[in-house]
Amino acid sequence: MIKKIFRASFLTALLTLAVSIFFVFGILYQYFEGQLIDELKSKAEYISYAIESGALEKINDVDERITIIAPDGTVIADNKVNVAEMENHLERSEVKQALENGSGTSVRYSETLTEKIIYYAVRMSDGNIMRVSAKHYTVMTILLGLVQPILVVLLTAAILCFILSSRVSKNIVKPINSLDLDEPENNETYEELAPLLKKISRQKKVIGEQLQDAKRKQEEFRLITENMSEGFLVIDAERNVLTHNSAALKILGNSGENISDIFELNREKPFRETVENALSGEKAAGEIGLGERIYSVIANPVFENKKIIGAVIIILDVTERAHREQLRREFTANVSHELKTPLTSISGFAEMMMNGVSDDVAADFSRSIYDEAQRLIASVGDIIKLSELEENSARFERETVDLRELAENISKRLKFAADDKNVTITIIGNAQINGVRKILDEMIFNLCDNAIKYNKQNGTVEIILEKDSLTVRDTGIGIPESAQSRIFERFYRVDKGRSRAVGGTGLGLAIVKHGAICHNAEIRFKSEENECTEISVVFPEP
Amino acid sequence: MRNYFEEQLSKLNSELLLMGALCEDAISCAVKCLTESESKCKEGAFSAECEIDRKEREIEQLCMKLLVRQQPVATDFRTVTAALKMISDMERIGDQSRDIAEIADYVTSVGLQAEINISDMARAAVEMVTRSVNSFVKRDIDTAHSVAAMDDTVDALFLKIKGELIAAVKSGHENAEALVDLLMIAKYFERIGDHAENIAEWVVYAITGEHKNLIG
Repeated sequence: MIKKIFRASFLTALLTLAVSIFFVFGILYQYFEGQLIDELKSKAEYISYAIESGALEKINDVDERITIIAPDGTVIADNKVNVAEMENHLERSEVKQALENGSGTSVRYSETLTEKIIYYAVRMSDGNIMRVSAKHYTVMTILLGLVQPILVVLLTAAILCFILSSRVSKNIVKPINSLDLDEPENNETYEELAPLLKKISRQKKVIGEQLQDAKRKQEEFRLITENMSEGFLVIDAERNVLTHNSAALKILGNSGENISDIFELNREKPFRETVENALSGEKAAGEIGLGERIYSVIANPVFENKKIIGAVIIILDVTERAHREQLRREFTANVSHELKTPLTSISGFAEMMMNGVSDDVAADFSRSIYDEAQRLIASVGDIIKLSELEENSARFERETVDLRELAENISKRLKFAADDKNVTITIIGNAQINGVRKILDEMIFNLCDNAIKYNKQNGTVEIILEKDSLTVRDTGIGIPESAQSRIFERFYRVDKGRSRAVGGTGLGLAIVKHGAICHNAEIRFKSEENECTEISVVFPEP
Repeated sequence: MRNYFEEQLSKLNSELLLMGALCEDAISCAVKCLTESESKCKEGAFSAECEIDRKEREIEQLCMKLLVRQQPVATDFRTVTAALKMISDMERIGDQSRDIAEIADYVTSVGLQAEINISDMARAAVEMVTRSVNSFVKRDIDTAHSVAAMDDTVDALFLKIKGELIAAVKSGHENAEALVDLLMIAKYFERIGDHAENIAEWVVYAITGEHKNLIG
């Protein structure tokens, strides 16, 4: 801008200078010509006087060329040129004018002198015409004469122009440069700039609002993605990671420095396939295992103008779900095992009997059928008990129950089974609690039943009663650590192979658990494999 | 022009990473073949090997193009040359994984300590490949050095297995064929370990500009 203003003003000044010099010269030229003619006129008058007063001989001393012409046009005398060579001058315009008006001027290019000449002719009193001529100053001659001063003037003017223009342009721009654009309307500057400043201030406001909006949205997005426990990644079509949240990095176990390719985070096959499927335009999902946890990777392609420009990837922790699914599968398998196996045996024995067998074999078979049916009845009975416990736990009537009495009763009921394995049952202590007799009976029965069933030969079972707790301790086979967290599940069996020989429904401890829940009691559990098992039910203080 | 070059370099990086991942797939499939003898694993190893071969061609072409057209210098040049060397090692890993998967079919259990040692070796070899690819991904010299350290373990295991198998043959083991197969499998794992170490060496070269035997 400074440059432009400078150039414009400098050129304007120079142009003005040139034009004015041109005009000055034009005027000067005119002026000089007039001056010359006047000079010539007065000279001619002097000379004509001189001639008339008879000083004709002296004309040879005069600088100017003097020609005397007779009224018929013949040249009588000339002080510079030989008269004999000169033609008739009657047709010359200054001579003509002089003959008619007494005087005449003309400016002409003289062929004789090969110069531009001014002529002035006067009719003298004797009728002869006296002509004085002088060299005309041409523009060039004037210019040449004036070249030095003009150059000086031009140079001075140009330098002055230069300095002034640069100053002026700088001064014009200075207030514009010092505008405070943060507050456009508070500036004292050219009034022509006011609309512009107003516009700027308006736009500034709009931009500020938009920026704030964008920032808020970004912050929202950041908060959402950072606070979600799922991993979140956005990649472009070249698999470069564009955005990621910290959960994603945590899941994939990366510090997050200098990641470009998403496969730097994880390159397991299911992960790669999921990402690549998404980038080829399909919604994709896969599962990867990282350490002990299982993650589900879901990838969605991102389209713009029907072209895939990237993908959004979400990583979910599905360990719990996978675990639950596993449990459900096992549960279903266990249920069908517990219910279907006795039925299959019954059906098998019955089929054989149908085909006809001898009486003693038939007796044997019916014994087996009876046993299996009993098993089935026990299972179904346990299932019913469980569902009763689950559904009607609130409706049972509570009363004060003497646990010692209950335990003695149960030990009598189990005496047969205990004697079978030569297991001694001891009851230690005394306790009375407020509870549901039927449920407590079931709980202690199941605990003792297990303690005998999973005991060794000649083992012991201790029922320890304290103020508000009941402990059943045995010297049995114990429970391996890996199974300890699952023994209270329905139909769960530690040793699937042996369960048939030992009997039981796989529901005993589930009933104990639900009974404890009914009484708001807590179950404590301690077991060493091949040493002992100790299960305590701790009732809440009344 | 330079932008295009950067783009190609990052593509080279991605492709190498992918090839490394394929190697991991191939070798873990081979190990599964050995331990679980599933036919699906065998196919997995075969298809991974095919894919690895294809990737090798692709990366080779990419490297050549980069070298000829862009004439990289210094670090970039080292990256490209190291990549060229790494892919041949990776390709060998793929081949050997396939070989293991192939033999695994004929190997029947011989009830020897050597089998347990081979599965240890397989684990170590898989870990070495994983670490060498990791060292490339993270440009991490320490990880690269740890690969070299692991190679010693694998070599020692190989010698141990060899001794056990020789002893079994001498004592007149009835299933000599399986013993020889086991020896070959052990050798393949040992080679895989060597290739993984080579890859780690090239990673170090790409970073520091010095190529030397990491253990030496």
